Amino acid sequence: MSPSSPPRSPLSRRGLLAAGGLLAAAGLAGCGGNGGSGGSSGSVIFYQSKREAIQYFDDLLGTFRKEHQDISVVHDIATNLSASFVRKNPPDIACQNYNLEMARFMERGALSDLADMPEAVLIRDDVQELVNWYPGYEGRTSVIPFSVAGAAVIYNRRIFEEQHLEIPTTWDEFTEVCEKLQKADITPIYGTFGDPWTVSQGLFDYTIGGMMDVRGFFQRVNELGEDVGPDSDTSFQKDMLKPIERMLVLKKYHQDDAASRFYGDGNTAMGNGEAAMLLQGPWALAEIEKAGSTEDLSCFPLPVTDDPADLKIRVNIDLSLWIPEGADRKDEARELLSFLMTPEVMDPYNKALLAMGTTKDAPPAKDPRIAPMQKYYDDAAFYQGASQFIPTTIPFTNYLQSILFGADPKTILAKVDNDFASLAYRS
Amino acid sequence: MSTIATTPASATPGAASGSSDGRRPTARSRERFNWPATLVLLVCSLAVLVPLLVTINMSLKSDAQAVEGEAFALPAPLTFQAFVDAWQLTNFPRALAVSGFVTLLAVAGEIVISSLAAYAIVRNWDRRLFRWSFFYLLAAMFIPFPVVALPQVQLTGIIHLDTPLGVAILHIVFALAFNTMLFTAFLRAIPISLEESMRVDGATTWQVYWRLIFPLLGPMAATVGIFAFLGSWNDFMMPSLIISDPTLQTLPVLQNMFQTQFNNSYNIAFASYLMAMAPAIIVYLLAQRWVISGLTQGAVK
Repeated sequence: MSPSSPPRSPLSRRGLLAAGGLLAAAGLAGCGGNGGSGGSSGSVIFYQSKREAIQYFDDLLGTFRKEHQDISVVHDIATNLSASFVRKNPPDIACQNYNLEMARFMERGALSDLADMPEAVLIRDDVQELVNWYPGYEGRTSVIPFSVAGAAVIYNRRIFEEQHLEIPTTWDEFTEVCEKLQKADITPIYGTFGDPWTVSQGLFDYTIGGMMDVRGFFQRVNELGEDVGPDSDTSFQKDMLKPIERMLVLKKYHQDDAASRFYGDGNTAMGNGEAAMLLQGPWALAEIEKAGSTEDLSCFPLPVTDDPADLKIRVNIDLSLWIPEGADRKDEARELLSFLMTPEVMDPYNKALLAMGTTKDAPPAKDPRIAPMQKYYDDAAFYQGASQFIPTTIPFTNYLQSILFGADPKTILAKVDNDFASLAYRS
Repeated sequence: MSTIATTPASATPGAASGSSDGRRPTARSRERFNWPATLVLLVCSLAVLVPLLVTINMSLKSDAQAVEGEAFALPAPLTFQAFVDAWQLTNFPRALAVSGFVTLLAVAGEIVISSLAAYAIVRNWDRRLFRWSFFYLLAAMFIPFPVVALPQVQLTGIIHLDTPLGVAILHIVFALAFNTMLFTAFLRAIPISLEESMRVDGATTWQVYWRLIFPLLGPMAATVGIFAFLGSWNDFMMPSLIISDPTLQTLPVLQNMFQTQFNNSYNIAFASYLMAMAPAIIVYLLAQRWVISGLTQGAVK
């Protein structure tokens, strides 16, 4: 700011010159650092940005460094992945949530084939198959699932026992449970509609997944592409209307102010035992635990049909490992991958972050809060959330929110069809 | 905040002289207690003070209390753990140094390069090349960074400017259009005779610029500097896209990890924001005088 005091200009100008000189020197140093950032690219860049797990992986990398003194690893939590692929210097290995956005890299063949790694064989076939719900590339094994998050209805065991309620296994039983809770003046389900994603990943995914074949549906609409519409055999307005109507039935079992409550409020309410159920995944359990709650929580899959055999849980690939085709240090990255895939690393991670193992001999989840899901997980009675397959260009979660707030589902679903078709037409 | 603090003080002498001659009691009382204006300003100041209070309040809470999300509940076990966590998670000293490097370079570069360009253009206005280069620069104002982000990412990657240095250069270039416009407008008001008298004494063009024009541009340089500082210190998008080495990332980008949908760590996030805000506040306190005068400079032009 020195130039802004004109009266004493000679002094400040000298100061400015000095500052300029310093800056130039610093700039040159920066250049030098850049040349030497061969030094930084001399180490394996490990990308992992799941916030809850950053500290955990930091510690893991510490162990890895001790075992492999010849390999230096940098823990990357901030790089913009798309930009790094554009720049052709992606991270050497990543351990990241797998979703539609990530699947684009796989679809375009930007991820290297890991099929020849001994670790690829360890994965359960039905879990590896989850990756293939997204379009793959030339039959490659581009992605190895590291952990799976199972999600179902979180419920308060104390409240259920006090009210002498059984775990419902059919739709009618479930609504009955809700009625009874309401009669006893207890909020059956705590809604956090203020955060639209909680609606799409909870209420919506559970009712859709419990009633229809999610994978088949998305395969069909993706094949139809721009032909999706009111006259096509498969469409959002035709296939999703019934599940959404059931979803709307559940709306009356939420507390009155659900529309203005957010994700954090739901966790606080469950932690204080203010509601009997919450439709959230294990991430919410971690938050409730952080608040120091003593409530006895567990979970069960949401029944949406009249057949108990239809019960399924929602899963998603919480973390997956992949090595880009353009990685500079594939060999070291593979070594790190092998290290991460050992039971000594995976099992404690799953235990600590309430996730489920992906390997054939992974131990079952013992934590009472998620243990009931293990049975369904082992039987492959699971689906991936439908909301995770709708391109984010379509503001679907907001559409869903407006349905909950009273918009006509038929009109909104027709709009989704329209959006989907025009998106397919453009690409 | 400072305006509110200084108003009563500066009003007092006027009020005192008013009471001595005792002629205009209404005017005096209006000057002394401008209640509507004071109330409006007080309410406005809440817009700054309340979020700041919540930020400080939250940053002193423990994990367990922060999860509840009660903004105004006082921290029950008062703890500085959040600051420690934020410090470690973002590797604060390094991130601060990188952010500082980018900002310093951007501020100095924007002031010097834009004022040079403006000087050249204004003094050669009669030549078509300079006139058109000015319009060319102005045209760049219509191109915001997000539009050209993708090619920028590729380009900087190809020429190895995917570093904080590259970000600083891009900041300078993207702000060139607006800054040059500000400087040209200001330069036109400086009488040419000043410059001529220096030329008569045998000064070269460079000497004229450096000894005469640049110091005279001071107030406008302050304005440009303030915009440059705020723009580059707070910028998220450009460094997140351009910088490829994760160990050389800037503060705002690293802080992004505190914003995820599944996880509330308000205490750590706010502690980190407070630490990131500190340099901006310190700069403001030091440069307050120039900030105010600089803003009015911009307003009159």
